[in-house]
Amino acid sequence: MSSTAITHERDTHADSHAHDAHEHKPGFFARWVFTTNHKDIGTLYLIFAIMAGLVGGAFSGLIRWELAEPGLQVFMKGSMLDSMGLFNLSNPDHAKHAFNSVVTAHAVIMIFFMVMPATMGGFANWFVPIMIGSPDMAFPRLNNISFWLLVASWVLLCTSIFTPSGPGGEHGFAGGWTMYPPMSSHTGSPGPAMDLVILSFHLAGASSILGSINFITTIFNMRAPGMTLHRMPLFAWAILVTAFLLLLSLPVLAGAITMLLTDRNFGTSFFDPTGGGDPIMFQHLFWFFGHPEVYILILPGFGIISHIVSTFSRKPVFGYLAMAYAMMAIGFVGFIVWAHHMYTVGMSFDLRAYFVLATMVIAVPTGVKVFSWIATMWGGSLWFTVPMQWAIGFIFLFTVGGVTGVVLSNAAVDYSLQDTYYVVAHFHYVLSLGAVFSIFAGFYYWFEKMFGVKYNKWLGSAHFWIMFVGVNLIFFPQHFLGLQGMPRRYVDYPEGFAYWNKISSIGYAITAVGVVVFLIMCLEAAIVRRKGEANPWGEGATTLEWTLSSPPPYHQFSELPVIKEDEDAHH
Amino acid sequence: MAHHGVKHDYHIIDPSPWPLMGSASAVVWAFGMVAGMRGLFGVAKGEWWLMLVGLALILLTMVFWWRDVIKESKAGDHTPVVQLGLRYGMIMFIASEVMFFVSFFWIFFEMALFHGHRAGDMSAIEEVKTAWSTWPPAGVETLDPWHLPLVNTLLLLTSGTAVTWAHHALQQNDRKGAIQGLLLTVILGALFTCVQGFEYMEVAKEHNFHFFLFKDAADATGAANLYGSAFFMATGFHGFHVLIGTIFLIVCLLRAIAGDFTPKKHFGFEAAAWYWHFVDVVWLFLFAFVYVIFGGPH
Amino acid sequence: EDVLGQPTDKAMGWQPAGSALKRQTEWFYNDLLFPIIVAICLLVAGLLLWIMVRYNKKANPVPAKFSHNTLIEIIWTVIPVLILVVIAIFSLSLLRDYNNMPKPDVVVKATGNQWFWTYDYPELGVTDIESRLREDAKDIKTAKAAGIPYLLEVDNVLVVPVNKVIHVQTTGADVIHSFTVPAFGFKIDAIPGRLNNTWFKAEKIGTYYGQCSELCGKDHAYMPIEVKVVSDADFDAFIIKNGGKTRAMIASEAAASAAAAEEAAASAATAASASAEAAASAAPASAAATPANASASAAPASGAAAAH
Ligand code: HEA
Ligand code: HEA
Ligand code: CUA
Ligand SMILES: [Cu+2]
Repeated sequence: MSSTAITHERDTHADSHAHDAHEHKPGFFARWVFTTNHKDIGTLYLIFAIMAGLVGGAFSGLIRWELAEPGLQVFMKGSMLDSMGLFNLSNPDHAKHAFNSVVTAHAVIMIFFMVMPATMGGFANWFVPIMIGSPDMAFPRLNNISFWLLVASWVLLCTSIFTPSGPGGEHGFAGGWTMYPPMSSHTGSPGPAMDLVILSFHLAGASSILGSINFITTIFNMRAPGMTLHRMPLFAWAILVTAFLLLLSLPVLAGAITMLLTDRNFGTSFFDPTGGGDPIMFQHLFWFFGHPEVYILILPGFGIISHIVSTFSRKPVFGYLAMAYAMMAIGFVGFIVWAHHMYTVGMSFDLRAYFVLATMVIAVPTGVKVFSWIATMWGGSLWFTVPMQWAIGFIFLFTVGGVTGVVLSNAAVDYSLQDTYYVVAHFHYVLSLGAVFSIFAGFYYWFEKMFGVKYNKWLGSAHFWIMFVGVNLIFFPQHFLGLQGMPRRYVDYPEGFAYWNKISSIGYAITAVGVVVFLIMCLEAAIVRRKGEANPWGEGATTLEWTLSSPPPYHQFSELPVIKEDEDAHH
Repeated sequence: MAHHGVKHDYHIIDPSPWPLMGSASAVVWAFGMVAGMRGLFGVAKGEWWLMLVGLALILLTMVFWWRDVIKESKAGDHTPVVQLGLRYGMIMFIASEVMFFVSFFWIFFEMALFHGHRAGDMSAIEEVKTAWSTWPPAGVETLDPWHLPLVNTLLLLTSGTAVTWAHHALQQNDRKGAIQGLLLTVILGALFTCVQGFEYMEVAKEHNFHFFLFKDAADATGAANLYGSAFFMATGFHGFHVLIGTIFLIVCLLRAIAGDFTPKKHFGFEAAAWYWHFVDVVWLFLFAFVYVIFGGPH
Repeated sequence: EDVLGQPTDKAMGWQPAGSALKRQTEWFYNDLLFPIIVAICLLVAGLLLWIMVRYNKKANPVPAKFSHNTLIEIIWTVIPVLILVVIAIFSLSLLRDYNNMPKPDVVVKATGNQWFWTYDYPELGVTDIESRLREDAKDIKTAKAAGIPYLLEVDNVLVVPVNKVIHVQTTGADVIHSFTVPAFGFKIDAIPGRLNNTWFKAEKIGTYYGQCSELCGKDHAYMPIEVKVVSDADFDAFIIKNGGKTRAMIASEAAASAAAAEEAAASAATAASASAEAAASAAPASAAATPANASASAAPASGAAAAH
């Protein structure tokens, strides 16, 4: 995509040899369960992500429903939710606990089971090998266990939701996705639910670490002849950086929760102050992972957006190298800013000052990305396809979320905003309106390529506009709530917060309609089966996946493509 | 497995049941862990059979999986480019392991460097303040680094040499030398584990510092329990890695005896050697910081 | 219309500031950060809109091919840096103001419990005031009937004198809680095993509410903070009512004991040759008893305490 032209006639070759021996697909079970095919594994991940997105989205619906008005309406005995029998709401203690456990599960599901599987698992698996001209991943069998370990992790998490946790036997871990002890230690969560959550994280972590090893090796070792790192498409760059972030940050989380586990069960005192331990140590370890994690969630999106913006402007990416190096800079600086989540724990002045400055630095490479996307479009010939709509929406909404992050990075202001809905608004703008928009953008961009059928454009656009209005309505008012001081993780709130909460919940209803339209779009495409083209996007689509049929052959690139420098690329 | 019409050297792997079996085993193991720790699904707390079943299944999966890898290697699937990929993979795996240790060292350094904070303004608990006003904290009797730990350091360093000897022998097609070198490495590694186990037993017997499994809040040294926690977590996790490394080396030894390695192609061995060196370096860090620098007076 | 010390429905900005420091924070946000971030968002939105109008397929059928422009790249790197430097200067100076606590007049200790707060005035001999959400504030209807804010009114409030520097210490009894009053712009976690410090200085007599701000379990939403800012006289009355001693009482007692010590020293001076020694040991004792120094031990500014 950067500056490459492909000199090859392989695509026709691949198509005409579709009946070759290597094109022979295994039987259904072997193909989808024992699979070692990066595209099939990618599809499994995408299906998993959509399933998790629906569950996580439903959970956020429970949150918004409860918070629509002051007072308890949903998480109480006799409510409609109670009659569904899913959660134990038999008494107020259980009910209030259930709300916190739903918030926790919502976050964990959205982050670990929706965004990461969709970007790293789904799109990266599908397109990194193809984009770098490789026939598959470096370790196809490992690729498979990455997926199934995620399912294993999911089983544990789901079990934990219905397992005793609280001091009164309340179900489900309810200490927030950040799992701070002592809420997550024996004091706050004596039941087995937290142990299940910990082991669930271990397995999800193992899944991601193995996946990262796989991506790094694939990218370093399996680029087609001529595909130098500096010619590699930006999505592959994004995945490379993300994989390193995962590889280096997840083990630290694993270490932290291992210590939490031994604190809970084997008498250690890492985070137990009576034994000389310190709960704040857990926060340091958690955020040393947690902050890189938020870039893990967004960097693949950055990559996707670069491709879409370039494709539909029919123009090469502006400042390709700067874009790649900006991601590396974000990844690097991302490792040294973690304690901006901990301004209120009582760190020394020097430390707080350092973390303020370091955090702000990230705005610079991120700005390079935003402005380079704009410059890519500048002078282009824009085609407002469905993925392009999502991409433009992403650029704006991510900027909104990014600048509120810069507000929060100022410790002095964060004293007033930490743990309020301002933070909730910030991170949903970068996640639910950033990462999720990039996922939908990628989904529409590659839909035809992956599934070989066309989607209905009208439904796609409707999905975009309904979601755009909906999520903004949910999360913009939350800035006001935060400034007014509404704390997060509250099942109920004073009446002074009523109005904007109501608006926010109305926004959720609209968003839910959008998600339904998304499902209808998928169904419609699956039923009508309009045959897809190899390259529906025309000359703007320059990366290798568009040289293959849609869907690509079961094994692509039996003969490797050769990448040559584009003549006029560097002018 | 060779595929027709393929004009590249990468290894396209056939579908495999082991990943599914592996993660299913992991679920069983995880449920077994929770059941053993807390009681779950009718399995009483303290009953570990479910965990052991899961663990056995995991180990079985590994056997099946790596047996396939060896088979494929023998079938010629591990072309030079595939071997290079395996190298990248192993390096990345070790990198992630390093970060795992970072978390435990982080805790140790926090405790050792800032123990004064626990004695000062930071702490709101009187027992903790008193216990941590000195280093090592009250109730902790640190171990003499120039005793068993030094023996262990020498053992590991020698084993590092031995594994290099085996490597050179392999490259020279000296199978006997390779087997001898590997055998020596394994023996030294096993000795390390024995010495470490002996030291643990001494610590527990002498109550040098609180063995965390026996933490007792009523005991005055309970407030310094963090020391034992950090010590055992760091050294124990290392010991666990020594065990894995030793098993890895034993497999290589058996393969060397079976004649699996050639002077050109013996990545399985190299991976084990890298892993062993990594374990070695971690020990040097432990020795330097846990035993010597923050070892306190003796 | 905005009420002091609690949230106002439909409001879109901050609660009115109740201290100079919070006013500074609001200034920093309203007059510096907010205009900057809005300008950035508008710039991005404006550029996007312009591009959509000017460079759509119809308006610009043939795309340009450029992909580099060193000057513009330098500009959009340097200008954000400059903006951030400006922000950082104000940010750090404000942070320092938060950090540098003036000499405190009153020390209060707030302990977070599941799910209530306990307040101590360690120097004034008042301990263990348990502060819980009031029963009638737990229900919207009863709260309305009682004329109190739902979920905010507590049984025993934290009372502090107006225009005095209040040193707040926090700790947690079970899990982590967080002590905050939005109108005063401070928030400090109450962590088991740790003693945290911050401060505020209320400018107006009145009632100010806050809410526990760190997830602490099922009743996290039900352990509000109510601070009543009163006159010095009312504060003294409150302290005496709760079995403590006012600062004046402590000061005069200290003066009395100092005088006694001096007297003893003086008589000793005439009596024995060891007089000089005795005076020397009496002097620091009397100094330590003066009120100014009574709180000196607690003087280290917030945050300076725990340093990692
Ligand atoms: C995708 C996820 C994502 C991303 C990308 C970010 C990006 C950023 N975040 Fe965010 N953040 C979260 C997810 C994310 N965050 C989450 C989940 C939490 C809460 C966790 C929890 O507590 O549960 C959180 C919380 C959080 C906090 C802690 C708040 C608190 O709890 O009190 C802070 C504080 O510094 C912060 C800062 C930032 C900053 C400075 C960025 C920057 O990277 C943003 C940079 C981008 C821009 C600035 C916009 C584009 C730039 C320009 C157009 C150039 C010009 C701009 C300037 C000159 C300013 N974030
Ligand atoms: C990626 C992360 C993510 C996403 C997408 C969302 C989405 C949403 N979130 Fe969530 N949220 C978090 C991460 C996320 N959230 C986190 C980390 C927390 C903090 C938890 C804590 O405090 O511990 C939180 C907390 C949180 C709160 C605060 C609760 C509290 O503090 O008490 C609220 C309240 O309104 C809320 C609401 C919503 C809503 C209405 C949505 C809606 O946008 C939901 C609409 C649904 C979707 C947008 C999903 C659609 C996606 C798919 C169907 C999959 C598509 C996949 C492919 C195409 C492959 N969230
Ligand atoms: Cu106490 Cu939240
Ligand atoms: Cu962060």
